Parts: sequence; C-alpha cells; structure tokens
Amino acid sequence: MHIDQFTDAILNCRFCFMCRHLSGIGNVTFTEADTPRVRASMIYGVTQGTMQLDNEDFIATLYRNDLSGACRRNCVKHFDEIGLTLAARADIVEAGHAPAAVQAIAKELAATAKWTAKGEGDVLYFEDLYTKEAATVAAAFAKIMKKAKVSYITVTGGCIGKGLKTLGYLKEAQDAAKKFAAFVKKTGAKTVVVSNPAAYDALVNDYPAMGVKFPAKVMHTSEYILSLKLKYKKAGDVYYLESDFLRNYNDLPFPHDLLKALGAVNKPFGTNDEESYSCGEGAVVLPKIDATLVEKLAAYIAERADNPKTDKIVTASPYTKLMLKKYTKLNVVTLEELAASLL
Amino acid sequence: MLVSPKSYMYEMIRSELTDIVGDEYVCNCDADAFGHSIDYYWIPEMWHDRGMETPKPDFIVHPATTQEVSKIVKLANHYKIPVIPWGGGSGSQGGALPVYGGIIVDMKRMNKLIKIDKESLTVTCQTGIIAKHLEWRCNKEGFSTMHLPASISCATIGGFLAHRGTGVLSTKYGKIEDMVMSLEVVTPTGEIIRTLPVPRHASGPDLTMLFMGSEGTLGIITEVTLKIHPQPEAREFRAYIFKDFHTAMSAGAELMRSRLQPCAVRLYDETETITHVRKVFGMELDKGAYLVFGFDGRKDIVACQMKYAREIMEDKYKGKDLGSKGGDLWWENKYKFFYPGFMFHLPQAFGTLDTVATFDKIENVYWGMKKVVTENFPQARFIGHFSHWYEWGCMLYARFIFEGEDVPKDPREATALYNKVWNLAIRAAIDNGGVINEHHGVGLKLGHLMKDLYGPAMPVLEGIKKQLDPNNIMNPGKLGFEGA
Ligand SMILES: Cc1cc2nc3c(=O)[nH]c(=O)nc-3n(C[C@H](O)[C@H](O)[C@H](O)COP(=O)(O)OP(=O)(O)OC[C@H]3O[C@@H](n4cnc5c(N)ncnc54)[C@H](O)[C@@H]3O)c2cc1C
Ligand code: SF4
Repeated sequence: MHIDQFTDAILNCRFCFMCRHLSGIGNVTFTEADTPRVRASMIYGVTQGTMQLDNEDFIATLYRNDLSGACRRNCVKHFDEIGLTLAARADIVEAGHAPAAVQAIAKELAATAKWTAKGEGDVLYFEDLYTKEAATVAAAFAKIMKKAKVSYITVTGGCIGKGLKTLGYLKEAQDAAKKFAAFVKKTGAKTVVVSNPAAYDALVNDYPAMGVKFPAKVMHTSEYILSLKLKYKKAGDVYYLESDFLRNYNDLPFPHDLLKALGAVNKPFGTNDEESYSCGEGAVVLPKIDATLVEKLAAYIAERADNPKTDKIVTASPYTKLMLKKYTKLNVVTLEELAASLL
Repeated sequence: MLVSPKSYMYEMIRSELTDIVGDEYVCNCDADAFGHSIDYYWIPEMWHDRGMETPKPDFIVHPATTQEVSKIVKLANHYKIPVIPWGGGSGSQGGALPVYGGIIVDMKRMNKLIKIDKESLTVTCQTGIIAKHLEWRCNKEGFSTMHLPASISCATIGGFLAHRGTGVLSTKYGKIEDMVMSLEVVTPTGEIIRTLPVPRHASGPDLTMLFMGSEGTLGIITEVTLKIHPQPEAREFRAYIFKDFHTAMSAGAELMRSRLQPCAVRLYDETETITHVRKVFGMELDKGAYLVFGFDGRKDIVACQMKYAREIMEDKYKGKDLGSKGGDLWWENKYKFFYPGFMFHLPQAFGTLDTVATFDKIENVYWGMKKVVTENFPQARFIGHFSHWYEWGCMLYARFIFEGEDVPKDPREATALYNKVWNLAIRAAIDNGGVINEHHGVGLKLGHLMKDLYGPAMPVLEGIKKQLDPNNIMNPGKLGFEGA
C-alpha cells in the first residue's frame, strides 16, 4: 500500500497534538477528525483492522483535507502528514473505493488534459484553468512582458496532473504529465513560467517524483518578473497572503523579493504567519469536492483582515484570488496584477 | 448509552440535538467518534496501538452559544445520558474520554473573543478557543495572556480551566486559576450562572474556584474573563549547570526565597539534562543539573533582578554560568521538547508523575518516587525536572519510561504494569508530603487515588458533586467520582 511509505508520519502524528492549531479545515469545522493526529490515527487503524479503507467517513475526512502543509511546516521534524493523506487517497482509489463524486471530478479533470499554444519565443507562459478563470492575471503578465519587450508563447489548457495526483489518481496524473511534457517539448520553449503555484509544484516536484522528464526550466511568475528588473512605482502598504505551495511546500523566497522590488510594505495579515490563508490552495480541487468548505475558509480569512473594505491584499495564487473574490468582499490582487499596475 | 443506535429512540434524541445546534453540528460519524475516543492519555493510545477498539461517544455536538450548551445539558438530564465536555482532547489523564458513551460536547465552536478591556487589562472569551489562537489575538493588540503551556497550540482555554493548567511563565504570572477573573458556567442541571466579577472579595466562599479543576464533572465552563498583560519591554534568561541536582535545587529554592520575581524557573535532574536538554538544544553540556530562569518587565528592573539572581547562582552555589545564550536556548526551544522526536511516544510506555510539594519536602518526594520506581521496576528509567516554582515550593515533572521488550505487547498486561507504576509512585509522593497533581488534573487516570489524597475530605467533594449533579450525568467516572 502507498501508506506504507509513510510509516514515520503514521507513527509520529497519530498521537501528536502539536500542530492542531494550524489544521485549516479543523479550524472551520471544529472537528477532531480534521487534524493530522486523527487522520494518522485512523490510517494506523486501517493497518490494524480497526478502521476500514472503505469506511465512508474515513474517506470523506481524507478528501476534506485542505493539504495546506502548514502543519508539516510547523512540525519540528516535518513529518509528512500531507504525503500520508495523498498516499491514503491513492490507496482508496486503487482499492476502488473512491466516492462517486471524486471519480467524476477525476474523469472531468482527465478530460481537460489538452492544451493550445499561441505566440512564439523561448519563454512559455502556462495559463492553467484557474489562471484562465481569473482572466486579469494573464493580462497583467502580458502587460509586464510587453514592457520588458519579451515575446513569449502562451499555453492554455487543463490538468497537467496536479489535480489528478491530489485526488489519488496516480496513473492518470502521470499520463497527463507525460502529455504536457511532450506538448511543451514541441513548443521548443526553454523556460516555462506559471502563475498558479499548484502548477509550479507539479512541474518542480511531482514530475520528477513520477519519473516524468520536463523539457524546460520552471519559474514562478514572481521569480520571472523579478528577473526582468523593470522599474515600478511604489506599491505602499499591502497584506501578502502566503501560498501553500510556494511557502509550505517549496519555501520560495521570490514572492517576498518581488514585493520588496515593488516597494511594498508588507503588513502582517491576521494574527500570525503560521496558518494557511489560501482558501484550500493545497487541495487544488477543493471547490469541486466541497465548495462549502472553501466558503468557510474564505470567511475565516475575511474575519482576520484589519480593514476588510480597504486593505490591499496580495496573493501569489490565482486560485486564492478567485475564491476570495467569490466568497468575500476583500480587495485582492495577484502579484502579477500588482506589478503590472505599478509600471 | 441507554438506547441502541439502531433504535428510533436514538434518532429521536438526535433530532432534539439537531434542533438545538443545527444539523451540521451533531454527528456520530465514525471518523469523529474515533477522534474523540483517544486523548493524550497513554492507555487509550496503547489500546489503539494494539489494534483494540476504544470506547466511542454516541453523539458529538458542537454548540455555538451558552444557551445551546444549557439546552443540551437539560436534554441529557431528561434522558439521563452522560455529557462529556471536550476541548482539544490534549488532556493526559483521560478526562475527556467517553468511557460510558453519551454526548461529547465539543467546545471548539465556542471560540469567540468577546472583549479586550484595555483599561482593566482583561480579555473575555468563550472557552472553546484554542489557547494559541487567543494568545495571537491578544498579541495583535499588544498584550499577552502570559499563559504559555507546551500544549498552547492544541488545548482550549476551557480545558486549562477544567484542569487548572499552567504555562512556562507560571512563576510570575501564575497558573490559570491565578489568571481568572470570573466564569460563566452551565451547571449539571442546565442553569447558566456567573461567578462574581472579581477574584478578590469577601462575599463568601469562592465559587470560581469551585469550578476550576472540576474537569467537566460540575458543569461546563462556557465563558471566562482572564487577566492580560502588556508585552514586557525586556525578557532575559540565564542558565547554569550545577554539580548535582541537590545543589541546583538549593539554588533555585534560594532564588524563590529571595523574593526576586523570576517569570520562569526550570531545573532538570542530571539524567534529563543529558538525555533531553542536550538533545533538544543540539549542543554538548557538562555533566550535572541544568537550571534556567528568567525575568521580564522593565529593562532596568530586569537587569537589577538578574544581577542579584546571578549572585545567588554563582557566588553562593557555584553554578557554571552558561550565560544568556544557555538560557535563551531553553526559551526558544521550550515547545520543541514536546514534539515527536523529542517527546516520549508509543511504543514506549511512559507517564508524567506530576507532583507538587513545599521546598522542605520536594526532594524527598523526588527520591521517594525514584526509589519505588527503580526498585520495583529496574527495567524502567526515571527522570525528572522541576517546572513550576512558587514562593513556597515547586512542581516535580517526573517521568518513568519503559522501552522495547519491557513494554508488554498484551494490552491488558500493559495496562496492569502501567497502573502498578502509577499507584506505587503516586502513593510514594503522597507519603512524602506531595500532592498528586499540579496541572494535568486527575481524570480517569488518578481518580482511584483521590480518596488516598483527600482522606476524610473526599465526602465533602462527593457531596458537592451530588448536590450539583443529582443525575450524575456530567462526565461520570472522572475525578474519583462515581461512574455511570
Ligand atoms: C504535548 C502536550 C503538552 C502539554 N503541556 C501542558 C502544559 O504545559 N501545561 C498544562 O497545564 N497542560 C499541558 N498538557 C496537558 C493538556 O494540554 C491540558 O491538560 C489541557 O488543560 C487540556 O485542555 P483540552 O482543551 O485539550 O482539554 P480536554 O483534554 O479536551 O479535556 C480535559 C478535561 O477538561 C474538561 N473540559 C474541557 N473543556 C471544558 C469546559 N469548557 N468546561 C468544563 N470542562 C471542560 C474535559 O471534560 C476533561 O475532563 C499538555 C498536553 C500535551 C498533549
Ligand atoms: S506533522 Fe508533526 S506536529 Fe503535526 S501531528 Fe504530525 S508529528 Fe505532530
């Protein structure tokens, strides 16, 4: 079983309470089950026969996980509670126990695994589904590229494997990844730039782990925009919401470096810098699994804003922007949008 | 549970509960019931580790208001169903376990901060708030509760009130009972009462203190007003290694008798210094006992107190000075001790023999416990540190540890061994003038020793319980009270 690769996390998390304050879903559902402790404990129960892999509640709990990585980051030994949930999901899928709703999402995602390309150049900008939905993000990137006088290819399309992998569909994820790698290869691009942190994590971490060779260098837009060394007006006060993938999964310094380059004074959002304020970015497809949870996560964030009506909130994640726009009245822009507005 | 989950009566009760708190907040799903069947008590953890079923609640409800709590308790009285308050489940004594089934009242939805009073320096909140979340909220306004326990991130304020919990700054700011101004409580019959608004008065006995430490057996604490403090201008630590634990204890006791006002003092015996402090700090330390203390407040006053404290440590007791760096390391790593990798964990069998005594007795308590543990169980390790210090004495955080083959695989044998250690060690503590618990509470684990501890005073406690809870629905079988 996939969970067998996470014995460390199972044995250490199963009776550990230390990161429960960062359990994003637990903090909005108030349930014990939505904590790394109980998830690991139940998975241990699966290994002992006191919890069944096909138990509906067990499965629902695992699919509710927002996978923010905040707990793993907080953990002194960084036990991989995220990897454990993903492994359990893969075991559930392989044993044929995926709920009908999850199967439907996976099917829908797999069907989106196709892309179109336009433009030319060495740089390829990948506009995934969330980035496309938040249309102004790609437009902001275009404005920056125009200013920098860089021509580039835009690739637009669907799942490159991340959503499928997150749901536990490893084979399908690998197929989508291979297809995407082949598509990019054909474009001849040397550098792939992505706005969506989930896509960044997929290309940088998931692809090598799945044995898929990616033909180009991968950069998050924050890193790429920085490298252009453009001149900006000063951004002033902003509240930057960390991305799960960029901070908790990859510890990337570039969003903060870019904010600095934009002359932004980054004010601390909420009460702390440990919780995830991403609306479930790490779970990639949480709105499809349970939109009410996303709504609750968004409300949790909105409650923590100093001045919800006026604060300028910045995110690296088109997903987070979309969800906050949908469920709150917060004034949110992405890093690309902020940079473009200061040119 | 009095009715089977398969019966329509069960569904009738569920309907009444959903009528009170809403559909979404009543559950008996397997995952959450499972989550509420194990707290931080070693026995249920071991039971689960051995692949055994742990007792589950019949319902888990998440009320949002005091009125909802009151209605739940009234309903439980009507049907005579046990009600078990649950905060974070991080209690180490099994206090929140639904050993007789019943309704778990999970308090975490009651997490509202009601008011920060910047004039009186108090905060009023619902008790289901996780202590860290409350601390963060206070920090944002420039204050601190100064309640900084190792379980700050997982335990609720209600849990601390119910167990008389304590944090690392207890020496100056007190235990949670010293921080409380007043409480709102839902009594076992469902009445909503408030204790007097200030903690110092002469209007009869102190009702607030009746509920502090009552572990959910005398009602559900729903709201609290706590003192808060401005963040200090300075907080400085200093650490020493003493040649042995006795010398370090003498130095620590003298520091307390000097009436300087340290915010924290902690002393590790020779074994724990080697096995734990060294590991957590990741640095070599001389042989001996590690003692750390700190002061906080105005910079000049901190400096002045530190000067006198150093004289005690260095001139009189000849401690080896590890400097402020040796002290800061402890402060920075104070929670690290409790993360897996540094904390004891199954498959080890371990227990925290938490005891408190006056300075004239505390060393005897330590040696008394150590003797019975090591003589009766030569295979066990015994370590201890002294973590909460007062003008009159301190708390001993002693631990026994069994490893590998010495931990029986059979869950019943493991339970028997575990309880035997506890019984012997705790009775040794009581015989030497110790009180069996300082901040973890009694719960299920130590309930049977309450009669040893209280002697003829136990019926007074039992009388209070009977008077307040005639149907014995509130957390039966805990704190030495009758089971369901
Ligand atoms: C890693 C770790 C470190 C720890 N360090 C410390 C420490 O430094 N200091 C310390 O004091 N403790 C410590 N503990 C023990 C534990 O955190 C405390 O006992 C804490 O008070 C439990 O709070 P909880 O919310 O988790 O309560 P629970 O475990 O859920 O419940 C504990 C008891 O309180 C009752 N209860 C809960 N809420 C209420 C309420 N609102 N009204 C009435 N009764 C209620 C329950 O019925 C139960 O009897 C530690 C625990 C862990 C896991
Ligand atoms: S991730 Fe670390 S802190 Fe969180 S439950 Fe697991 S072991 Fe504990």
